[in-house]
Amino acid sequence: MASDQRVVVVGMGSEYRRDDGVGLAVADRVAQAVDGVSAVGPLSDPLDLLGLWDGADLAVVVDAVQSGAAPGTVQLIELDITSGRGAAGDPSGTTSTHGIGVAGVFRLARAVGSAPKRVVVVGIEGQDFSQGTGLSPAVDRAVEHAARHVAELIGEGR
Amino acid sequence: MTHGSGARRTVSVEGISRVEGEGSLLVEVRDGVVEEVALTIFEPPRYFEAMLRGRRASEAPDITARICGICPVAYQMSACGAVEDACGVTVDRRIGELRRLLYCGEWIQSHALHVYLLHAPDFLGCQDAVELATLDRAAVERGLAIKKTGNRIMEVVGGRAIHPVNVRVGGFYRAPSRDEVAALAEPLRRALDSALATVEWVAGFEFPDVEGEYRFVSLRSPGRYPIESGRVVSSDGIDTTASGFADLSVEEHVARSTALHARIEGRLDYLTGPLARYALNANELPEVARQAAAAARLGPVCLNPFKSIIVRAVELVFACHEALRLVEAYEPPDLPAVAVPARAGSGAGATEAPRGLLFHRYELDGDGLITSARIVPPTSQNQIIIESDLRRVVQGALDLSDEELTWRCEQAVRNFDPCISCATHFLDVTVVRS
Repeated sequence: MASDQRVVVVGMGSEYRRDDGVGLAVADRVAQAVDGVSAVGPLSDPLDLLGLWDGADLAVVVDAVQSGAAPGTVQLIELDITSGRGAAGDPSGTTSTHGIGVAGVFRLARAVGSAPKRVVVVGIEGQDFSQGTGLSPAVDRAVEHAARHVAELIGEGR
Repeated sequence: MTHGSGARRTVSVEGISRVEGEGSLLVEVRDGVVEEVALTIFEPPRYFEAMLRGRRASEAPDITARICGICPVAYQMSACGAVEDACGVTVDRRIGELRRLLYCGEWIQSHALHVYLLHAPDFLGCQDAVELATLDRAAVERGLAIKKTGNRIMEVVGGRAIHPVNVRVGGFYRAPSRDEVAALAEPLRRALDSALATVEWVAGFEFPDVEGEYRFVSLRSPGRYPIESGRVVSSDGIDTTASGFADLSVEEHVARSTALHARIEGRLDYLTGPLARYALNANELPEVARQAAAAARLGPVCLNPFKSIIVRAVELVFACHEALRLVEAYEPPDLPAVAVPARAGSGAGATEAPRGLLFHRYELDGDGLITSARIVPPTSQNQIIIESDLRRVVQGALDLSDEELTWRCEQAVRNFDPCISCATHFLDVTVVRS
């Protein structure tokens, strides 16, 4: 297994908004399972990806999503290296004070030549985003499943 | 997005969005007069104050840091200040200087982010930082490099670049070594040069000719530009402690918004943030920052909210210069933290977050548990001013097209670098003309 590729696994969200903490839970699980990978997060502002992922061969950004799917559903979205857009469209709210999305940050990183070679967004469907800590059962069960997907992604490049 | 027919026009902008927030700005114009400006926030109020009740006072810095991903240090420092005030503890000078260095890191990160990626595109006719990067890649690279220097300070002093983990009540878990801190000097020298270039860059922007009438409130700390400590002062004569200011400031619930609006009791609104800090403390800036301000023709008080970007750039010069001074003078404290024995009482902590005054007030019991907490972020304090400023800006710009007016409104909101994740979130702008 070649270990010279640089992989960054980032958990987005807030562990104080229940299922919004799933990103970090998955990133931590991946870091335990895969040698040489460390988890970063929780990040609440995608702009913080700049600098963290510079020069990475693969950046995996894990976050809770609300798409209407069943809670715990795991979706992988590879951002298009040429357009910076993901299969789910462009989620960047680029005019916000802090609200530039992952795809927007990716496009910005490309514009200044610091983008990772590959960016995959892993979305886990959340159920409960109320105040407080702890994941709801379906989302908690999805952590292992999502972590396996991420480990496979990392394995493909090695 | 523009709707309307005849004399009545509605302009709305969507896309100011983020996962956790929902809010809107509505501007109503009737017969050429701005009648209503309402910042409406739908986001559920944040329950951090309730979450703190029953928790140990020592947990407050880590819990409240999670209110904001942009200014966690501000929350940590105000939380530490409030607990230490309640327990009657003052930290060692060297711990205080290390806190100031960490806080400089956050100012550098936050101001570089706002100036380059969030606010500058407004002035240069760009939709966003991505478009700006295609027009002026060197400028965006300069901004990102400055921000990175802030990140390095956060890593060295705070333990990591985002949501630092090294802060505790009484000081730090671990004081960095001399060598670790000394390694920050070279990047800071480069960042200082870049910050000076930033002032020159933004001073060349075109600014709408608007002046506000502000009651400024900021910290004041004799002999130094305020960051992590000081008394709370105002342009109309308030001069009090953090605790005294917590008594003076009242928060009101406004039906349309889940963010509280803060006022000074018996008075109206007030403004915190760069314009206020600069107006009340410009004489404490180091020579290099004063010269940069003078070259940008800033004057001792800046009342044009659009020029807050220049003030922010001047503060960037200050923060880089101050961080460099602290790095060069660094002596590790004998112990990374002082003991803070529990005692029953109340205490307040006020510090200058990049976007303005942030104060916390806690009541503690004799076991060191928090029995009540009040956290007042800068954006809550500035919210009324944001609305009154928009009223003035729109009134003076009614000749603009809907599209241009909407742009101007968004720009006017961004003048205040509002941290919607602290006060809640901000979503869309609607202008109704009839």
